Amino acid sequence: MWASHWVGLGRVLRRAGVAVDSSRIALGLQALTLIDVSQRDDVCHALEATWLSQAEDLPIFHAVFDAYWAALRQSTSPDALTLGLPLGQPEPASGKQRVQDALAELQAEPAMSLRPADPQSQAAKLAASDVQGLKQADFQSLSADEFAQLQRQVQSLRMRWPTVAGRRWRAGSRGTRLDWPRLLRTAARQGGEVLALPRRRRREQPLPVLVLLDVSGSMARYARMQLAFLHAQTQRGQRAVFAFGTHLTDLRSAFSLRDTDDMLQAVNRQVADFGGGTRLGASLATLRQQHPQVLVGRRTVVLLITDGLDTGEPAQLREEVQWLKRHCRSLLWLNPLLRFEGYEPLARGPQVLARHADAHVAIHNLARMETLAQGLTQLLKH
Amino acid sequence: MSELGALSSIDALSAALAQEGYFADRRLVTAVFLALRLQRPLLLEGAPGVGKTELAKVLARLLQRELLRLQCFDGIEQREALYEWNHTAQLLHLRAAHESKASDDLEREVYQDKFLIRRPLLQALQAPAPGAVLLIDEVDRADEPFEAFLLEYLGEYQISIPELGTIRAQITPITLLTSNRTRDLHDAVKRRCLFHWMDYPDLERELTIVRAQVPQASAQLTQQVARFVARLRSDSFAHAFARLPGIAESVEWTQALVALQAAHLDAEVVQETSGVLFKQQEDVLSLNRLLPELMTD
Repeated sequence: MWASHWVGLGRVLRRAGVAVDSSRIALGLQALTLIDVSQRDDVCHALEATWLSQAEDLPIFHAVFDAYWAALRQSTSPDALTLGLPLGQPEPASGKQRVQDALAELQAEPAMSLRPADPQSQAAKLAASDVQGLKQADFQSLSADEFAQLQRQVQSLRMRWPTVAGRRWRAGSRGTRLDWPRLLRTAARQGGEVLALPRRRRREQPLPVLVLLDVSGSMARYARMQLAFLHAQTQRGQRAVFAFGTHLTDLRSAFSLRDTDDMLQAVNRQVADFGGGTRLGASLATLRQQHPQVLVGRRTVVLLITDGLDTGEPAQLREEVQWLKRHCRSLLWLNPLLRFEGYEPLARGPQVLARHADAHVAIHNLARMETLAQGLTQLLKH
Repeated sequence: MSELGALSSIDALSAALAQEGYFADRRLVTAVFLALRLQRPLLLEGAPGVGKTELAKVLARLLQRELLRLQCFDGIEQREALYEWNHTAQLLHLRAAHESKASDDLEREVYQDKFLIRRPLLQALQAPAPGAVLLIDEVDRADEPFEAFLLEYLGEYQISIPELGTIRAQITPITLLTSNRTRDLHDAVKRRCLFHWMDYPDLERELTIVRAQVPQASAQLTQQVARFVARLRSDSFAHAFARLPGIAESVEWTQALVALQAAHLDAEVVQETSGVLFKQQEDVLSLNRLLPELMTD
């Protein structure tokens, strides 16, 4: 009888977005045999330890558990309880109703952050960006003669893209370590005589890179230059490029075009919110929900190109930047506003970025970008 | 206390931990109790300085087991965590034996148990009775490929060595993993562990801990310290700091105050000792700025 209750609770949690699989449920039931199940707190703690694996799930777990436990106390027929749980089938009994209310709340609130946004809210976002002065960007008007010249120069900058020593080794005549298995094999054949020293060295891998480019009004003059620069620099290795203004645009397909001008035209077509406002927090949330795989292990270097003048919620921005920081190797903030002497991040948005970024770099002119190209490897070694 | 005595119930474990000077809340004790009884690794996540590492030390003392510690770092490898072959000894053996043996036998001979260098994971599996407590500290510092090396150990308490075979645990080691959550761990690791999120202690618990650790401090001072630190961590101030002081910091701070012979907290003494609470210049500046607000009760 008890087991079916807890299995039911597991199901409810799964519906609320907490990953409780059957092996965990089994482990939880095993745990309950070791403790006094009439003690509410002990049961709660035991299930917490066996079923959860991240702190974010704690509030959801507790809300569901509280409602469930209360219902369990009141319910006279435990079987009816678990049967009545599926949502959308309201049962008249009061105990069940309370659970359902709690579950309805749960569905309404944290589900937003757990699941990708539904098409309706996507439409709402688009409407919001309309209000913020959404307009189709005209990249052509930016391409004056000197701009094109400068762009060519930017593209010809040679950057040493940072690499990381991979976990795998390869044999070679030079290297930092002896290839002992090979050495011993040959030595065994030659009567214990070592005639050559086979060596091994680590394979170098370029670090994967994620570029987040601000295409809002205040950044318009820099966005194209940055795109041209990064397109030329990141040809080899794993890269992901996203533009954000009022919402997030995936530029990976545009970036796969070989020619930089073709790429810029494709970007021009794709970015609908060029020159609008900035909602970095919301854009990062979209990235987290829909494209979490662009952050590879914890090796990804994130280049965040923005002036940080965010018009969204500061609290959301902080949360999302913290998440980003937890999932990348380094977070570099490339900020064109840094050209001003004595620039200090005073607004909430820039403050959040300055606190969490590993480095804060100016990129407003060619000289600065040259420095960046040469110094990126250095910047990442800290 | 004997292992059986401490493990008979949650209350017994709680009392035993307290006797060793570790004051855990019931949530944590339940998690530890279950980890011990179900023989599962326990993953402890939480801010720095909330007592994650300390728990492993206390458990080892309490159960009279040997504490083995693996400190993780970026670039840590199998040979630092699991095992390594003693190549020099292997080579010497080859040279000594080459006249009497065929080369195939020789090759087999150098991969013997006696040429194996044991690292913490393997040591934990082979520890003599009563077994070991293995602390895999700050596992979030290692990179993701390294986590894969841990899976076999965490899931089955065994390690496969290609040249030698599979080594299984004699006595299941008590295994604790800690993470400061600088990144999220892979799901495969989490699935094999029980999980506990360690929060900052409440005022009462902090008081108990500080009193126990710094008995020479006056009651008034410990009370003030616990209150002050709790205020720092409260919602109204926490956002101003990049890194909040943990229990370790409040204990150290109390010791510093005792050393300075401060009878009670005032703005001046807080400023003088701010370096004990905060280790970042920005945080010290924030503290100084917020001090008038923090001092008004």
